[in-house]
This record gives sequence, structure tokens and C-alpha cells, in this order.
Amino acid sequence: MIRIFENRDIHRRGHVEFIYAALRHMEVFGVHKDLEVYKSLIDVLPKGKFIPTNIFQAEFQHYPKQQQCIIDLLEQMEDNGVMPDPEMESLLINIFGKRGHPVRKYWRMMYWMPKFKNISPWPLPNPVPNDSFELAKMAIQRISSLDLQTKITVYQASELPDSIDDTWIVSAQSPVQKELLDAHPHDVSIFVEGAFRVWLRTASVSYFILRADPRPKPKPPPSDMDDVGNLRIPFFEMPSPGQELMKPPSVHEQEDGTIFAVCATGTSSRDSLLSWIRCLEADGNTALAEIPILFTLKSPLGEVVPISDTGESSEDKNITSGTDKLDS
Amino acid sequence: MLLKLNLGRPIHALVSWHLKTSCNITRPIHTASVVLFWERDPKGGYLRDKPKYPTTQLIRDGLKELKDEIRLWKDEVTEHFECDPILAFRPGETDIIWQFNDPASLERWVTTSDSDHNEGYSTCDLSLSKGGKGLFTGTLSTQTPKDGRVKKAGYCNMRSMRPRKSFKRDAYFDWRMYSHIVLRVRGDGRSYMLNITTMGYFDIMWNDIYTYALFTRGGPYWQLSKIPFSKFFLTSKGRIQDKQNAIPLDKVTNIGITAVDKINGPFHLEIDYIGLEFDPTHKEEFAYEMYTMPKYLVGV
Repeated sequence: MIRIFENRDIHRRGHVEFIYAALRHMEVFGVHKDLEVYKSLIDVLPKGKFIPTNIFQAEFQHYPKQQQCIIDLLEQMEDNGVMPDPEMESLLINIFGKRGHPVRKYWRMMYWMPKFKNISPWPLPNPVPNDSFELAKMAIQRISSLDLQTKITVYQASELPDSIDDTWIVSAQSPVQKELLDAHPHDVSIFVEGAFRVWLRTASVSYFILRADPRPKPKPPPSDMDDVGNLRIPFFEMPSPGQELMKPPSVHEQEDGTIFAVCATGTSSRDSLLSWIRCLEADGNTALAEIPILFTLKSPLGEVVPISDTGESSEDKNITSGTDKLDS
Repeated sequence: MLLKLNLGRPIHALVSWHLKTSCNITRPIHTASVVLFWERDPKGGYLRDKPKYPTTQLIRDGLKELKDEIRLWKDEVTEHFECDPILAFRPGETDIIWQFNDPASLERWVTTSDSDHNEGYSTCDLSLSKGGKGLFTGTLSTQTPKDGRVKKAGYCNMRSMRPRKSFKRDAYFDWRMYSHIVLRVRGDGRSYMLNITTMGYFDIMWNDIYTYALFTRGGPYWQLSKIPFSKFFLTSKGRIQDKQNAIPLDKVTNIGITAVDKINGPFHLEIDYIGLEFDPTHKEEFAYEMYTMPKYLVGV
């Protein structure tokens, strides 16, 4: 398109209108994150003509329409997270001179944008992949990144007998969580909750958790502080059997519940969650055979994404890109 | 516009003059009276249509407030004579400023979004979650209303109320002894903006906001974010300023969390507390290097 514009007329008029029109339609053509396109748009402007020749021109925006146009272009780059490169600097200097306002804007961008590019403690590729399986793996890895021992396993539901859905299950569980699950009393039920949403840049992934209600903290035996008849002399005392010891709570034991495992499945359906529990059971969590498990759609941990047995609702494009739809 | 450039905070004037001025004008009828040299009110014209009450009613309402204000004043005087300020700031201890655990704690926060002034379609709400913590939720939408005026949309913001002294006098937080801000949050993987407002006396300082990003992990686990104050950079009306300086921690007026990551969809941020910490090992004063630029090239 730009080549057509360039070759149309030797005088090449109407740059500003052309660039504004191009900026408006960039997203439609899917090139709004492409640095080369922005560069070739700037390249449309003539070199040398807009360079100011005295200080008044320099400070009072020589060729204001053209300068503002390129500033808007740079602004659009900034909004789309496109970082310019040194070639663009030489291009801008050739067009607007060293004191042009677009050049100043470029310098500002090159000062700040590299600073913020990689500050996220949970880095993600840019753009994130389109494949829902890769997204789910990334999401589960990110969620469970606080326990470095966490092992991420991919199960295939089809490997189990009598599973309806043939889908993948990305599950994360650490040895600590396995111990916690083993120690869980067998008559107290645990919950499979979800779906919750986690965002990976523009894509969102639904995930589920296996959770138990928080364990009550052991209460110290009631003592009468005013009773001085039984003063303790702690110098030669050995720890008495009456004293209670307690393990410090792990990161998985939070005030609103103990989290035993996290997963994302390809269909987000109830059957896939059932397969997940059975896979976990086969994978060394023998206690799951005896503990009653409730599948709930409500959770004290926050708002859940409603799921139906046919898979995800397709109301949001982002969500459907996050999880596969069941081919029903 | 150019005179404003020489006055002080220039880049928004230069870089997107169109956008900013058009955003500030809320009613088309006022377009003719855009003042470039000074700002008329701290709200940028947004409260222009606030209802005006008759003076008698104002006096009557004011007298009702007198009782509480005198009580506040009494407390202030007592505190002054006691003269017992906190002097020891123990390293490693978090002093909690805002704890979100009851409905009363939510009343000290104000939520705003672009749909408040018909400038977008985002909605948000600050409530208590089922676990009894603060919950900042809503839907972000970058769709702009087709009124030919608004160019960009999509923000949801929560901001604390400004501290005050008795008789409605403005006050400041004094956080000079602290080096970090600590937040215990549970997010949804989005990144949020953390804003510390240091509203000054003159109109060019009204919109001084020091900003940094608050990243959330997402997932069922709580996270503790400890952000040094030295990393906050100066912005004004959403523009990073050329002339940077470290945040004046004795002039803090508000703190805010904004969801503006241009991703359409619901967001979900649970907040347990916002606190402050003093870390003596943190020696950095300002994280951004300050180059000497040629004269008159960047903000004067």
C-alpha cells in the first residue's frame, strides 16, 4: 500500500492524510505491532524539507501538521508496545532535524521503554502463543512459581479407562502438597473449585484448584494469668510432653484454605476434572481414594468463571482462545 | 500551548496536545474557555456541574459538622502537647496503613472509571471478598463512545481519600522514614498501576503522581509485593515527565491502584493490606539516571 502511495505521484502530496489513514487501519491488517511498517510510514515523508533552519522555526514546530502526525504515530507505537530502533532515529533526524519534536519524543521513548520492557517478575513471551495447551502450561507454571519444588505434569485423560473427554490436563503439585494431602483427615471433604481466571497478557486461562478448608490452629490450653501458685522456672526445664509442637505452615496453607493442587484442562469440563483427580490418585496421592471430594462452582477464593458441561462459554474471545472448546 | 511549555510541565502539551485537551473538556459548551496558562480547578473541570446549594443550607450543614470537627481538633491539640511522635522505625516491620477487613475500611477509598463521565464503558467496584478482604473488581473496556471527543478509554481506578486535619484542613502523609511500600495482594495475572499522588500547592503540581507497576502472579496464592519508593517516577496527567525527581515522601496525599492494561475483560484484585516498611539496606534514592540534556531540548 505504501509502495503504491510512493509511486503514485512525483510530488507525493497528502502525506499527513495518508499516514493518519494508515494508522487508523493498521489493526485491521494486523500490522499494529510491526516496527517495519511504522518505519516505512515515516519514510514516506521527504527528507530535508522539514528541517528547521533557525531557532524560531525549531522551537515553534516547523511544519506543525507533519510533526504532530509523526508524534501521533509514535504515540500509537507506544500504545501497542512497539519499541523503536536506532534506524528510526536516523530516519526522524533526516526528516525533522535534531531538534524536531518527533525526535524528542523518540528519545523519550528510548529512555523509558527499555526500562520497563523486562521488569515483570513473571516474564512472558510477547506475543503469547495462540495454542491453548502452551498457554495452560505457562499459566500453571506461573501460578505455582512460588514453590520451586512444584512439579508440573501433563496427563492425558484418554489414558484412563471410562473417561469421556479426550483432553490434556496440566497439573501442578509439589512434594509439600502431597504430604499435606496425605496428612489430611480422611473423613473431611475437600473441594475442586473453579474455574478461576488468570491473564497472560491478552489471553486468559481458566484453572481449577483442589482445596481444603483451613486447618484450625491448635489453641494453647487456657491458663489463668493471675494464678501465681504454679510459676514456671524455665532454667533447667526440658520441653515437657505437654507442650505442643506445630510445623510452620507452608505457603500452601493460607488463611482461606489449603491448596493441594492446581490444574488447567483442555475442556474445563467436569469430566476432565474427574480425570484429573483420578490421575492425581494414580500419581502417588493414594489418600484421594478415601477422602470425599466435592465439585463446587463456588469458592471463597473469589469469583469463578461459570462452566457448563459443554465446555467454556464463548462469549469472550479471549477466554475461548485461552481454553479449547469441546467439540460437541 | 507553547507558553505552557515554557512554564513547566511540557510534554503532555507537546506530545499529545489533542488528546489531553480534548479529555479535559467535559462539556462541549466550555470549549471556548480552555485556559492554557493556569488550571481553574483541581478536578480539571469534571465537577463543574456539581449542584450548588443555598448558603443557608451550607451554614446549617456546616454547623452540624462542627461537633465532630471540634473533637478532631481536641485530639490534635492533645497530641501536640503529648509530643510523642514515632521515632523508632524498626527495619523489617511492616506498618500497615490501610487494612481491608471491614466495610468501614472501604469507605476511605473512592473508585472511578471512565464510564463515570460517559467517556468509556469500564466499570469497577471495591467491595469485601468472601474471605473478608478488599476486592477490586470490574470490567475493563477500551471501547470509546462515539462522540467524536474521546480518543481513548479503558481505566478503572481506586484511590484513597486525602488525609485531613480538623475543620477540613488538608494534611499530608509523612513517609520519609520508610523506604518501601508493601502490598499483600492476590491478583489475576494482570499488571496494575500503583499511583502515589503528591498534590502540591500550585496548579502545575496538582496532577503530580508518582507511578510504578504492580505485577500480579495470578492464582490462588497471596503475594507480597515490596516496592521501593526510589523506583517511582513522576507523571502528570498520565504522561511521564522529562524532569524527574525522587518522590517527596512528606507530601503524599493519596495512593491509588489503576487497572489500565488495555486488555478487555474482567479484572480481579484482592487486597489484604497496604503498608510501609523501612529497610536500611536500601540505599538507592532514585532509580533513574538523570542525563544533562542540551538546553531547551526537554522540559524546561
